[in-house]
Amino acid sequence: MTKFYTPLLAAALLVTSPIGVQAEDWTPPGPITMYVGFAAGGGADTQARLIAQGIEETYGWTIIPQQLPGNSGLTLAAELAKAPADGTAFGMVVSETLTYSAQAAGDPALQLDKFTSLATTAEFQMGLVAMAGGTFDSWDKVTEAAAAGTPIRFATASDRQADMAWHLGQKAGIEFNIVEVRGGAGVMDGLRGGDVDIGWVAGAQSKSVQQGEMTNIARGIAAPLADSPDAPAITELGSDFYLDGYFMFIAPGGLDPAAREALGAAIRAVAEDAASEANALLIKGFGGPSVRIGADLDSYMAEADADAAELIKAVGE
Amino acid sequence: MPRLSFAHGLGLAVIALAVLALILWVPQDTVSGYLLSKRGRVSIGDAMAPGLAFGLMALSGALIFLEARRAEAEIRLTARSIGFLLAILTICLLALGAMIWTGPLAVALFGGEGSYRNLRDTAPWKYLGFILGGTGLVAALIALVEHRLSLRAVGLGLVTVAVLIGVFDLAFDDLLLPPNGDQ
Amino acid sequence: MSEMLHYVWLGVLSVFQGPALLELGGIGLPLALVMLVAGLVTGIAVGATPGLAGPMAMAISLPLLISAFGFTPDALLPVFGFLIGIMKGATLGGAVPAILFNLPGTPDAMMTTLDGFPMAQAGQPRRALRIAQLSSVAGDTFSDIVLFICAPFLAVMVEAYLDLPEKTALLILSISFIAAVMGSSVGKGLLSVSLGLVVAFIAAGTDLSPRLTLGIDALQTGVPLIAAVLGVLIVGEIFATLERLWHDNHALDVKAASDGSAEDGLQPGDIRRIAPYVGRGAVIGAAIGALPGVGSTLAATLSYTMAARRARRNPAAQPFGTGAPEGIAATEAANSAVSGANLIPVLSLGIPGNAAAVFLILAADSIGGFNPGPAVFSMPEGAINPQLVTVFGIFTLMSVGNLLNWVVGGGVMRAMGVLAKIPATRLLPVVLLVSLTAIYVQETSMFAIWATLAFGVLGWAMRKLAVPVLPFVIAFILAGPIERSAREAFSASGADPWFLFSSPTSVILLLLAVVALIFLGREK
Repeated sequence: MTKFYTPLLAAALLVTSPIGVQAEDWTPPGPITMYVGFAAGGGADTQARLIAQGIEETYGWTIIPQQLPGNSGLTLAAELAKAPADGTAFGMVVSETLTYSAQAAGDPALQLDKFTSLATTAEFQMGLVAMAGGTFDSWDKVTEAAAAGTPIRFATASDRQADMAWHLGQKAGIEFNIVEVRGGAGVMDGLRGGDVDIGWVAGAQSKSVQQGEMTNIARGIAAPLADSPDAPAITELGSDFYLDGYFMFIAPGGLDPAAREALGAAIRAVAEDAASEANALLIKGFGGPSVRIGADLDSYMAEADADAAELIKAVGE
Repeated sequence: MPRLSFAHGLGLAVIALAVLALILWVPQDTVSGYLLSKRGRVSIGDAMAPGLAFGLMALSGALIFLEARRAEAEIRLTARSIGFLLAILTICLLALGAMIWTGPLAVALFGGEGSYRNLRDTAPWKYLGFILGGTGLVAALIALVEHRLSLRAVGLGLVTVAVLIGVFDLAFDDLLLPPNGDQ
Repeated sequence: MSEMLHYVWLGVLSVFQGPALLELGGIGLPLALVMLVAGLVTGIAVGATPGLAGPMAMAISLPLLISAFGFTPDALLPVFGFLIGIMKGATLGGAVPAILFNLPGTPDAMMTTLDGFPMAQAGQPRRALRIAQLSSVAGDTFSDIVLFICAPFLAVMVEAYLDLPEKTALLILSISFIAAVMGSSVGKGLLSVSLGLVVAFIAAGTDLSPRLTLGIDALQTGVPLIAAVLGVLIVGEIFATLERLWHDNHALDVKAASDGSAEDGLQPGDIRRIAPYVGRGAVIGAAIGALPGVGSTLAATLSYTMAARRARRNPAAQPFGTGAPEGIAATEAANSAVSGANLIPVLSLGIPGNAAAVFLILAADSIGGFNPGPAVFSMPEGAINPQLVTVFGIFTLMSVGNLLNWVVGGGVMRAMGVLAKIPATRLLPVVLLVSLTAIYVQETSMFAIWATLAFGVLGWAMRKLAVPVLPFVIAFILAGPIERSAREAFSASGADPWFLFSSPTSVILLLLAVVALIFLGREK
């Protein structure tokens, strides 16, 4: 449905902008509340706050960050749905919040078409991670152990990750014991403690991989991982889908197009400005900035939404 | 049969609440039930943990009922206590109500075109509710406990509010005093 | 071993070379140390003020500290420094009004009044304070040393020998133990635990539609941790104390203090007299402190009773209750020796044993980057575990805190005697407004304030009905870990319904839980 919607939106934008306020003239009518859908202090939270700080410094707008984590970002979405669509409220989530999670939860008020996508900031460096030098430090070892009848405990940090673990197992002929833990840090703690054998981590594994403690035995995204360029993609191992995604800002549905353009441009400017702290963090912890806005972002979200529907259908069968 | 004491009643009330929750609340307010089958495996559903917790609560009620024979006669809620609690809660309700509504009301009366949401980080509007509600809370509680309203109590409330504004609002850019974060 | 020493060194450096407050002649004044000192003074002041207690000060300062230092790993040591300072200071400060005015500043100083006040009445208030200080600091130091030695080994053992099912069983054991030993009966202990669990389970499931929300939007994210903990622990206490003061305005007023005589101050031979009592008290306190949920009040009572029995057997000894230095020493050494050992289960297992530990966990949880539990003590190959450095930073702060308590604690204690005269009728309403504001600032939602008041009513009712409040708080904190580890263990075992009984270790732990409930609860 969104595929059909996107060109309409673009057309609407073309028609309205000459008479409406130009994006470069847009200023927020009051202080902006920026909701953060992640626990305070983590990498994603720091990223959001640094971007807000950068925008405040560059544009002089007031941005007040407010924590609203929980329920895979849907808690934030529900709060945002109640906020005015004038650019004074937006929030940071991950792209799967409005695609996979929204569909799986099934609340019609929280679907992708009820929100405006503002801008992505970074792409997941999703890897299938195991302890280096351990029993499962390559995909071949995993399949051999499975063939020998060893139960393999697969840690996941979200429903989508669990579905993808199941799907990958189906395609590879392995019945994993899927263990749902809390966050990428939970996966890594489980690996260290020997409570689980392999697990998805979306980027937090970078330091451990560089130091040789852990290893990416496969990658969940299309492009090679910065730390482990040789890790095979899960699609090469049989999966029909990638386990990709972005950190991104969203706003209430029907956002004033001038506000959308201005906010998107502001986020891009800060994230890509080599002198900003936000940019430094994105390079250090998130594999570099990856900003997508406007129609380009809408088409990515539509595609991800369709993939999520297919994944949910595949697992449901 | 010995007369039932307050503690007997407490035990029975706890059991009744726990059973009600087990029959009505837990099954109707959880999606996945006690056990569910997903991705080809059985896993523990969202109702399991609360179900066990309410089971434990029922057990605790039974133990309280059984232990009730042993003394503890003096432990009860008196009408006087409950009256005091209601007085405290009324004060809190009024003070917090003043905190929430003073700002928006002032903007509606004197703020011209602006909305309180857009003025929630602008002095003096953002302080009005907190000053009135906070001072009121402190002064009224002191008056309640000391059985008289004194100017000192109001002064103490004002000083507390001023210090809190200094500590939270003036010292930190990103913090909002009540009720401004809800706008 | 050398690797461990390297971590110790890094921990020490993290305190002394951490972010500096200001530079004096080229040498930075480490922020963590400044915060520690500020915490100590605050703690002694709070302990010395009747109606206030260490946990209350920790609760109010936590949101402030987090606002001030932010959510970066750099914030951990300054925040912990301040909280540990309060914890250490409050046990010392509690003795001040107990000795000077026969009014315990904190509940665990109750036994201090028995000999401290008579000694002060007899014209030796400074001697009593000095004995209290020395015994308290000695007990605290001993306890910290036990912590430094035991926590790492316990954590390593747990990580090496306990798998997911055993970890679940261990958590079940700890809350059963807490339910059994706290409060007047097992039934009420269990009621408190089950309430804590139920409230914590609201909206905390894994379904994308949150459970038990009663259709209330604000409950979608669950009950805010800080609202439940502060509501029951602090606001409930404020309500209960205000009610007492409402009945009797003078319930917490001080009686006149006596002036010191010429023979005040520490007497020759005092140290030798009290040393054995301090030693025994410290051992009792540390042993009790290592068990979650058994508080410092029990340690003090036990130590005092044992010391009194010993004194009765010796006709030459000064009888207890008449101002015997041994009585002060036995009490203060024991109640102070609880605090360090209490952190053993906190740091190595993530299980809090008392209110102070609850706030340390809350701080770690809010700031992030430090998750108390066995993983803290892991030493990965070729990498530095920052959490372990933080642990040794905390240990360093605790040692420095003891040193300061030893050197200047006595002077601060004497200066704080005046605080006991602040009327609680005016202090507590101010504390309530400060707490509510601090909670709002952290949660930015009026719902958090309403929730805090609601839990304040619950805490008040629990106090009225003699239902212990601490099991509620500890169960609230452990609810998430218990459910998570059970779920993880269940799915990791491939959906084995008997996963909890899959190993002898976990069967033993579960049996111990049942034994604790049946036998420990019978004592009272």
